[in-house]
This record gives sequence, structure tokens and C-alpha cells, in this order.
Amino acid sequence: MVWRMGTAIRTHGLSKRYGATLALDSLDLEIEQGEVYGYLGPNGSGKTTTIRLLLGLHRPSAGRAELFGVDAWRDRVAAHRRVAYVSAEPFLWPSLTAGETLDFLGKLRASTSGVPSIQSPRVDLAYRDRLIEQFELDERKKVRALSKGNRQKVQLVAALATRAELLVLDEPTSGLDPLMEMVFRECVQEAKARGQTVFLSSHILSEVEALCDRVGILRDGRLVEQGTLAELRHLSAQTVDVTFSGPLPELAPLQGVHATRTGPQTLRFELAGSAGPLIDALAGHQVATIRSRETSLEEIFLHQYDTSPEHVPS
Amino acid sequence: MSPLDTATGPELTRRQGGITTSAWVLLTRRAFLDARIRTIVFVYVFALYAYIQPRGYRSAYPTASQRQAFADSFETNRGLRLLFGLPHHLASVSGYTAWRVGGVLAIAAAGYGLVAAVRATRAEEDSGRLETVLAGPVSKRTVGTAALAAIGIGIALLWVAEFAGLVLGGLPAGGAAYLALATVSVIPVCAGIGVLAAQLAPDHRTASLLGGVLIAVLFLLRVLADSLNGLGWLRWVTPLGWAEQLRPFAGAQPVVLLAPALATLLLLALAARLAATRDIGTGVLSSHDTADARTRLLHSTTAQAVREQQGVLIAWAMSVGVFLFILGTVAKSISPADISKSLDKDLAKLGSGAITSPTGYLAFIFIFVAVAVCAFVCGQVGAAGQEEAEGRLETLLALPVGRRRWLAGRLGLAAVAATALALTAGLLAWAGASTGSAHVSLPHLLEAGANTLPVTILFLGIATLAYATVPRIGQVISYGLLAVAFLWQIVGSLLAAPQWLLDVTPFAHVAAVPTEPFRAVAAIVMVVIGAALMLAALVWFDERDLAHD
Ligand SMILES: Nc1ncnc2c1ncn2[C@@H]1O[C@H](COP(=O)(O)OP(=O)(O)O)[C@@H](O)[C@H]1O
Ligand SMILES: [Mg+2]
Repeated sequence: MVWRMGTAIRTHGLSKRYGATLALDSLDLEIEQGEVYGYLGPNGSGKTTTIRLLLGLHRPSAGRAELFGVDAWRDRVAAHRRVAYVSAEPFLWPSLTAGETLDFLGKLRASTSGVPSIQSPRVDLAYRDRLIEQFELDERKKVRALSKGNRQKVQLVAALATRAELLVLDEPTSGLDPLMEMVFRECVQEAKARGQTVFLSSHILSEVEALCDRVGILRDGRLVEQGTLAELRHLSAQTVDVTFSGPLPELAPLQGVHATRTGPQTLRFELAGSAGPLIDALAGHQVATIRSRETSLEEIFLHQYDTSPEHVPS
Repeated sequence: MSPLDTATGPELTRRQGGITTSAWVLLTRRAFLDARIRTIVFVYVFALYAYIQPRGYRSAYPTASQRQAFADSFETNRGLRLLFGLPHHLASVSGYTAWRVGGVLAIAAAGYGLVAAVRATRAEEDSGRLETVLAGPVSKRTVGTAALAAIGIGIALLWVAEFAGLVLGGLPAGGAAYLALATVSVIPVCAGIGVLAAQLAPDHRTASLLGGVLIAVLFLLRVLADSLNGLGWLRWVTPLGWAEQLRPFAGAQPVVLLAPALATLLLLALAARLAATRDIGTGVLSSHDTADARTRLLHSTTAQAVREQQGVLIAWAMSVGVFLFILGTVAKSISPADISKSLDKDLAKLGSGAITSPTGYLAFIFIFVAVAVCAFVCGQVGAAGQEEAEGRLETLLALPVGRRRWLAGRLGLAAVAATALALTAGLLAWAGASTGSAHVSLPHLLEAGANTLPVTILFLGIATLAYATVPRIGQVISYGLLAVAFLWQIVGSLLAAPQWLLDVTPFAHVAAVPTEPFRAVAAIVMVVIGAALMLAALVWFDERDLAHD
């Protein structure tokens, strides 16, 4: 493996419009080689659209995308030599067995890359056999007889076995059971250790939290937040959970404090600034416990999407 | 609100836009809408074709004596029965129309029924959408009957189209209604075949293939029953024969309707039986779910396409081969040697050249071979399009695989396979003719086969451009244009349309080889246009978004 520093993915003003829908709005991304980037967003936020533009499957309405400095739309084939992709839905050939599918996809990679070069990842057969074992894949089974999760595993093995410099993964664990999800996480960590770049689109926060160096949050086609987990935590509020031993107090609205009822006896406060005003306000009420902690990615995420600030979970 | 709208029950209700509609109605509507473009094309073809025939006959044969002369010569001509079936009362407008309309539209109806059934049942299932539906509180039975109801609506529309065309063409309403009924009686039977094939085959493509081969056999039986002495009884074993036995405008026998009705019920009952025993997404005849790896033909996308299409190629080669062999063996007895020369002109009006010798008969048959090979290449482009529609092309093109190279490979495969098919037709026609001791030379029949290729290249170009520019409806467009071009070829000359209008259809430029000499200039022009269309398609395809469902 040759270690080369540089940018794996770069987009500039990348936009995609489908009829009246603006699926992606002026995306600027820069992902360094060796990074594991988590691309978060709820359904329909534009994650798959971004990936289709990155892979030159759809044409940008505006802006451009580059993989390793190669234009993703104009020079697709060249760009793809260094990329492996796992789509959200496994689209494979029902009449081929899992093993034949791996063979086919591997051969396509080898044959179209022309002269053997450092740029064209070839399938690492020993690694592939190990992956097949780890993912407990039955190679002799026809794709048509595989469940969605098992078809997803075929895709994952095919992509991982290439040891491509860039792995583009679109919600890759949908359909995997928790055990296999752990195997997947190990594989991504291994890839990272080997210096591969990973672009991981997901809406599973724990997965992103466990794997990613940097996170981008997409909402309605726009990148609304980006940074390392630490940076994002800093950006967002501190969370304080307060349990009362008496009735819930009627607190006057406080500047920079957002209160949510989380249980019959508990309130959750999200603080934008200092905790002082909240402590003052709580004085004199029957407080049983105060628990303060780091904001989880889930909270950052929900915070981004929580459109109704008065929302009180029942 | 209709009674159906208020239907209740655990599985029936679902809220949509504030109105409670039964799942069954929703599913039926959905199935019908999925098939709407195909249905609209058929509706137009049925209405137009039914309208043109009586009109054309009146203008081409205005007097009673002309009609009688026409009838005298054609009622005994067995060659034309291939397409049109058995004639009755050709001296009357209605008898003529029944012959010309009934036979051709019944064949179209058979294709419609098969495709509609496989699409609405198995293709839907293979797409994975059905699993989503069945995950909800909807039973397999509801889904199945909804698909059949949607086909029923299609049948009703085609009946109305043909009926309206005939009545506007000047036929009496009662007879027109019955003739249209005879035509569409073929659809439920062929839909039943489609539904049954959908239960048997491992996937929807194989189901179409299986059903297609079966319907080709039923067609062949009808051709033999109509063309050969002593084989008339064969008409009773094919739905295309039943449509004839109903005898529209020739002493109607409505009791024969029992045959398609019973056959449909039988097929559907059998299919329902099988449906209950198999799993979603598999067929009763599914090959094994596990197999040892066969690594042959996996080194390129084109090689893998050959592997995927093997079954289709073999089925086409066998169907065309058997057809041509059998028609070759009977060529001598079908073509009447004593036919008068004055008939040539009348035959020309039917767009069919002279059928006065075994060679002439075989030359006539190769017009159908040309249409079949054109349909084959349209189907090959359609199969490529399926790769895209079902998402597998995305898997391929995310690899270092060029778009143009992929499509060009598929086109190359289609062209090579079409050539093999055309030459197989020539070879087996010769083998058949030799078996039937008709003296026709092998080179001549191979030439007849090769003569179908220029127009095939043209249609390959049309189909590819349609796919590249409008992937979702490309197949409807290419098959639609093929049908229109062919129908125009067989009706245009009858209508005494001006020459330039007749020349619009590419089939007007396909010589009846070996009776007529090969038309090199026309062939070159068609090949050049076809190639240009393919190039344009490749450029366009490279520039557009991939289409997913
Ligand atoms: N091919 C397409 N045609 C029209 N609209 C599309 C197409 N693909 C995606 N969209 C729309 O673009 C938006 C973003 O979709 P997508 O990128 O698939 O979201 P995600 O992957 O984050 O769930 C959605 O509103 C979706 O309906
Ligand atoms: Mg998505």
C-alpha cells in the first residue's frame, strides 16, 4: 500500500435538481485521504444523490465533484479505478451465485484497468476469503435465494476485497444483523488503519459515532453542520437532566436555555451558554438529582432536525 | 362512494388522502396504471387497424364483380392464411374484415395477454415491491385478483377499441361487437398461460420466455390447421383457433366461447394452486438455490450478458427454426402452382408479393422472419434497459466500466445473435423445403435470411435511441413503431395511398428475396441510418442520468 496524502473527495458547489426538487444544494466537501467521513441525514435528505454525483451516475445540475483530482462526471472510468462502492439496495444478478458474483465483479475491476498499475486496486483474494468467512457468506447460494441482508454482504465483501483507496458506502448496514454490523465496523476500522478513505453515508448515529473522524450533517440537500465529533459537541448545547422529588416547577423562560420534559419527574435542559442562570432558577425547588453530560451525536442530530422547540415527548 | 369504497374488513381499508379506499381497488388501479402506456398503444393499434380494413376494402374493390373475383382467388390461397387465418365470404365487406382483422389482432391480443399477465404478477413480484405490499395487511389473494382485474380492464378497453374501429369503418354494431369479442377472447387464455408460467419459472424473464414459446406453438398449430388439408381439427387445441371457430360474420357459434372461458379458469385454478405452494420470488421449476461456481463467461459485461441471455437466444432460435422448418416442409402443398398471373396485382395490394411457387411462399414468409428478428433486437435492447431499470447497471457502472463500452457490447451481442437467428431461419427453411421435396436452393434461402438484417439494424438503432433518450418508455416506443411499420406494410397498399406514403415503412424496402433481387441501395441506407441512430444513442447515453425505478 502506497501512502499518498492528498484529497480523496472534493466537491465545489455541487447541486442536483430533479424537476421541482432540489435534492442537493451547493455542496462543498473536502475529504482527505485516510479520513473516515460520516455523512448523516434522514431519509430523503440527499445522501444517495450526493453519492450518485460522486460516482458520475447522475450529472450535476451545477458545480463539480472530483475524486483524487479526477472529474467524477467526465472521467468516470479513471475515477472508479480507485473507488469501491456499496449501494443502499443490493442490485445483483439473481441467477449468479454469491461466489460467481464476487468473481464477476472482481474480474470487471481487473480487466478494465488495463496495464496493472498502482492505481487499479485488484481483488485481494486471500483477504476476500477471510471476509467471506467473517461475514458467514454462503458462496454457493444463488443471489435470488439470498435475503436482502445476505445480498448486502455480497456487495460489502466485493467492495472491501478490492482494498480500494476510497470506499463509498451508502447506508451499508441496512439489513445486517447486529453481529454482522460488528464485523462491518471491524472491517472499516481495518481499512482506516490501512490508510483507506471511507465515505460512510448513514442514518445510524452510533455507527458514525464509533467509526468516523469527521461528520457532515445533511438536511434537505444542504450541509448544515460539519466537523469532528468534538467540534460538533462544542457547537451544540450542554445537556442537564434534572429529576425533581416534588411536583415539576413552573420555570420562567431563561435566555439560552431550552427545557424539555423527559419523564413524569424529569426535565432536560439544553444550555447554549453558562449553567449559572439555570442553577439560580432551580434554587428553592425540590431537586432530587442533577446529571450533566456530553451531548451525544444523536442529540446533535435531533437538535438539527427538531423543528418544533416546544416538542415534549410523552 | 361506491360499495367498494366502503368495504371493510381487517385487510381492506387504508386511509389515503382522507378517503378510505379498499386495498384491492388501490392495487388494481396501480396495476392498471403500470400498464397504461402499453395498453394505450394497443388500443390505438386495434382501433385504427379495425377501422382501416373495411374502408380499404370498399375503396380497393368498389364493385360486386371485383369483390367476387377477389374472393374466388383468395379463398383458395393458403399462403396468406399464415397471418390472417381461414377466410369466409370474402366477397362481402364484413367477411373480408373478419378475415383481415380477426386473424392479425388475435395474434396481437395473444402477445398482450401474456405480457400483461407476466408483468402484473411476476415482474412486480421480482421487483421486490410486492414484498412491501404483502408485509402490510394484504393477502396474496388480494394482490393476485387485483392484477387480474387490471388485465380485465385492459381487455375491456381493447374490445371497445376494436368495436369502435369496426363500427366507424361501417360494420353493423352487433357483428362488430361479436368480432371484437372473438379477438379479445384470446387475451384471458394467454394471460392464464402467463400467470401459470409466472408460477413455474424462476423469474419473470424466464416466465415471459416460457409463455412466449408456448404461444408461438399455439400460433403454429393455428397456421397448420388453416393451411393444410386434414389438419383442421388442430384449430380446436389453440385459442387462436377458437377465435376462428367463433366464426364472426360467418354463421356465429357463440357456444365456442366456452372453450376460452374453461381454459382460462383451468389455467388460473392451476396457477392459484401453484401460487399457494411456492415462496415469493421463486418458481415451482426454480433451478437449485445453490450451485457450484461456473466461472465461464464472467470476464466482461458482454460475456455475462451472453450468459444471461443464453436461454432467450436458444428459445428464439428454436422457435424460429421449428417454424421455418415446418413451413418449409409444407411450402409445396400450400403454394398453388396454377394461380393466375392476374392475381399478382391483387396480392401486391396485400403487400405480400407473389405466392405462386414454394420459393414465392417462402419469400413471403421471410417478411415475417424480418419482423420477428426486428422484435428480437428490440427485446435485446429492452433486456439491456432492464439492467438499468432494476438497478444492476448502477452496480456495474460504479466499477471502472465505461458506459459506452457496456452499451456497445450489448448492441454487438444483439446484432450477432440476430444474424445467427436470420441464418438459422434460412437454413431450416431450406431443410424443411428439402424434406418436403420442394426444390429451393440453400444459398437462396440463406440470402433470404440475410436480407432481413438491414431492416433489423435499422430497428436496433431505433430501439437503442429510444432507450437512450427515454429509458422508461423506450421499449413501448420501439415495439410500437415496429408494429405500426408492419401493419402499414400490410394495409397501406390496400388503401391505394400515394407511393411516398407507402414508402414510409422500412418494410416497403425489404425485397421479397429470393423471388425478387436483393435491394442493395435500400439495404445500405437502412444500415447507415441504423448505425447513425446507434451512435447518437451512445453519445446521449453517456450524458444522461442513470434511470432507477
Ligand atoms: N431520480 C430521482 N428523481 C427524482 N427525484 C429524486 C431522484 N432521486 C432522489 N430524488 C429526490 O431527491 C431527494 C433526496 O433523495 P436521496 O438522495 O435519495 O435521499 P437519501 O439518500 O438521503 O435518503 C428526495 O426528495 C428524493 O425524492
Ligand atoms: Mg439513500
